[in-house]
Amino acid sequence: MRLSFTIGHGVPKFSLFLRPTLSRHLHRPIYSSSTLPSPTSQNPQTPLFLRPPTHRATFSDLRKWQNWAKTLALSVGSSFVDMDNGPDSTLLCRELKWLIEDVTEDGSISETLHNEEPERTVRLRVGLEELYKLWKQRIEERRPFQYIVGCEHWRDLILCVQEGVLIPRPETEKIVDLVGDLFSDNQGLREGLWADLGTGSGAIAIGIGMILRNSGRVIATDLSLLALEVATFNVQRYGLQVSAGRGKKRAVFLFSDVIQLRQGSWFEPLKDVEGKLAGIVSNPPYIPSDHISGLQAEVGRHEPRLALDGGVIGMNDLLHLCKGAASMLHSGGFFVFETNGEQQCKFLVEYMETEAGDNFYNVNIVPDFAGVPRFVTGFRK
Amino acid sequence: MSSLISRKRSGTIFWVLSQNSGITAQSVPFLPFSSLSEPQPGDQQPSRSFDFTNPVQNHTVPESAFLTTSLETSKTPSGCHCYHTLSSCFSGSGSKHGVLSSGHSVSRINISGSEHGGRLPFSLFRRFSTATAIEPSTSDGLTVSGIIAHDWTILDESENDWKSHAAAIAQSIHVIKKRLQWKKMMVRLDVLSAELNKPDLWNDPVHAGKVSREHGSLMGKMKGVKAFEQELLEHIDMIKLAREENDPELESESLKALLKMRRKSKEKELEALLSGEQDPCSCYIEVQAGAGGTESMDWAAMVMQMYKLWAQRHGYKITVVDEMSGEIAGIKRATIKVDGEYAFGYAKAEVGVHRLVRISPFDSNKRRHTSFAAVAVIPILGDGSTRVQINESDLRIERFRAGGAGGQHVNTTESAVRIVHIPTGVTATCQNERSQHQNKASAMAVLQSRLDQLEMARQAQMNAQHTQSLTDITWGSQIRSYVLHPYRMVKDLRTSYEVSDPDSVLEGDLDGFIMSHLSASLDKDDNL
Repeated sequence: MRLSFTIGHGVPKFSLFLRPTLSRHLHRPIYSSSTLPSPTSQNPQTPLFLRPPTHRATFSDLRKWQNWAKTLALSVGSSFVDMDNGPDSTLLCRELKWLIEDVTEDGSISETLHNEEPERTVRLRVGLEELYKLWKQRIEERRPFQYIVGCEHWRDLILCVQEGVLIPRPETEKIVDLVGDLFSDNQGLREGLWADLGTGSGAIAIGIGMILRNSGRVIATDLSLLALEVATFNVQRYGLQVSAGRGKKRAVFLFSDVIQLRQGSWFEPLKDVEGKLAGIVSNPPYIPSDHISGLQAEVGRHEPRLALDGGVIGMNDLLHLCKGAASMLHSGGFFVFETNGEQQCKFLVEYMETEAGDNFYNVNIVPDFAGVPRFVTGFRK
Repeated sequence: MSSLISRKRSGTIFWVLSQNSGITAQSVPFLPFSSLSEPQPGDQQPSRSFDFTNPVQNHTVPESAFLTTSLETSKTPSGCHCYHTLSSCFSGSGSKHGVLSSGHSVSRINISGSEHGGRLPFSLFRRFSTATAIEPSTSDGLTVSGIIAHDWTILDESENDWKSHAAAIAQSIHVIKKRLQWKKMMVRLDVLSAELNKPDLWNDPVHAGKVSREHGSLMGKMKGVKAFEQELLEHIDMIKLAREENDPELESESLKALLKMRRKSKEKELEALLSGEQDPCSCYIEVQAGAGGTESMDWAAMVMQMYKLWAQRHGYKITVVDEMSGEIAGIKRATIKVDGEYAFGYAKAEVGVHRLVRISPFDSNKRRHTSFAAVAVIPILGDGSTRVQINESDLRIERFRAGGAGGQHVNTTESAVRIVHIPTGVTATCQNERSQHQNKASAMAVLQSRLDQLEMARQAQMNAQHTQSLTDITWGSQIRSYVLHPYRMVKDLRTSYEVSDPDSVLEGDLDGFIMSHLSASLDKDDNL
């Protein structure tokens, strides 16, 4: 069958590529198969570790920079910790090691840098001058390390991030765990359609997409065009999407796309799938507005307010999500939202159990790894 | 004639041990290393004075049972000589087990000689020898142990003397057998064969798989050596035949083949050093500073650096898993993962306490200090091995994170994870990965290996090869001393191997120490 198909078309590679999508074609509704516009406008910045190693420096010069950077890191001591619970010297030194890993062609040399032949040259992904500049930004401006290197290691993923896109937090890794646990005994949800609202770098959507692979689908939305660009980059890097589509185009899943990206506020771009979602996940902005100014410098001065500020009590968006969840989820559908902590969790549970009508069951608070009540989960009746 | 040649061809060796199949004839002592490491400029240091060739090589085998036996046999009147010879073999072989079978076959020849009054027809003897499969020998009864017993002078490779080649190869085989712990291996093979013959073996497929894997691996090793022996003897036969038939071409061809074998046998000797079940594994190396504050933490960091450089020389991938820095300098402890073939096999030679004597740069009075660092090496078992089952509910997972609100409030790259296995109290920490998820995965991997090691130690107390965990290492088990002042010297206390250039050692040139220890611990006669 496959053979004749291949021969018939005379384009073996193409047929192999098509074959898996063909069966999907038969089982899954495709909203439209029109060709989508490729992303335009702001192209995401390439993270350091993906840049070509086109710069050169001698080991002795690299070492000189390393010593300078280390001295700068050590000079911080615990002053940032005292100031706003920022990083201490030990952490900064570790970041320095990771920076060397990311900018050198052979990342492992950070372990043995001091024993390399001083006059030998090493290939770098950014120039030495840039390295001085970057580390200065890290210490003096408190620019987040993840923006310096352009990526965040999250779960087993390396996600590209840049200014304007929230850096995924380790706490949020748990959302993927929760969904993954759910899949292990609920095949129906696994094959369904999921939505990650306010996806940012695409972290949760990709985390879930990696588990779903060839069964279900994820729609990831964000209001920020820049975030969508970055998310697209990440989604494509993990092979979860071949084509990029966004905006009002209603072309949902093009062939082998596991994740589709859409631009818009919360449920607004999801009108076509109302009542059809198997699950909704979100890490919406939840910090009360008047806390923003007191945040750790890396967060308050550098990360996008759009992704952090949740209004007066920090619950504007969470409440909006809870209100919409009932009409978006199909019966038995699951939701998980990240919150600011115990207060918000309790508030939401009460809201879901009482004011949201008799629509949900098994509404629970799930703590993060530090024991802080962090997530609210539940099922649509 | 044609059948002989075909036999010679079919005698192509299946050498199961040759992991480093890429090895060609290079400078012998560092062969396995040079094949593992990527070529690095400046890394081609000549070997030190230490000679890795086995001591047996230059060791005159004492007047052996072989000669004694044959002499006695010839003196003995026929009729009872068989018993007599056997008993003399046994008594003669008390310390040298390997001689037993050689004596045996020699006595058989003499028996047949006395019966037939001359040499047995070639083919007849062949059949007999292969049928018994006790010890292969040449057409005129020469066995490998027989060759060793002859104590032929081993000349330089360039001397085209077959006896010299044969003697060198025979001694290599002798060394290889010791290193493979031949006697133990045979006992183990018997045990495993008995297991395999049990009809209910496959009721427990996991156990059965393990038994059959180990059996297969040992059989492979054994057959490899036997085939090598066979090949040697066949070449000798060919040479003798060539001489009888006056065929100089065949003779020189066989001589070349012997020379090739001789070179190969040196490689095999080295490979046999790493024939342990876990030797091919990757491993963790852990270093912990002894008492003595900053000076000893600095020493621990130097030791760790030494292993990083050593690993780098050999093309192993290094990952720092866990590192606890000292307040002023150095490390309190650290764990690195060393990825690559035979990492454990080599690194296991480093387990123990390393002692440093120097004038401490941290002492304003410039006094001489002695400090200690303990090294542990843990194998990372392959997928094929049975690993300890870890119960999720037995684990306590601790994450280090700044207090406070967490979540969106905090941006930190700190994501250390510590896992405690509650039933055993074994812990593992990882903070050098860049995500919490990965730190947890790494810490779990360390924990798994630690528990595996604990289990191996429990199961195999009789197996002296298991390495100890850091906590087991008493500060008394010193293995090496590094003296920087008042003289300069690194000396291994187990083998007395020493080097007068501590800098090169601290830069990771450890192969001499490792190989001398490995050979010293395996090249004991009671291993044969």
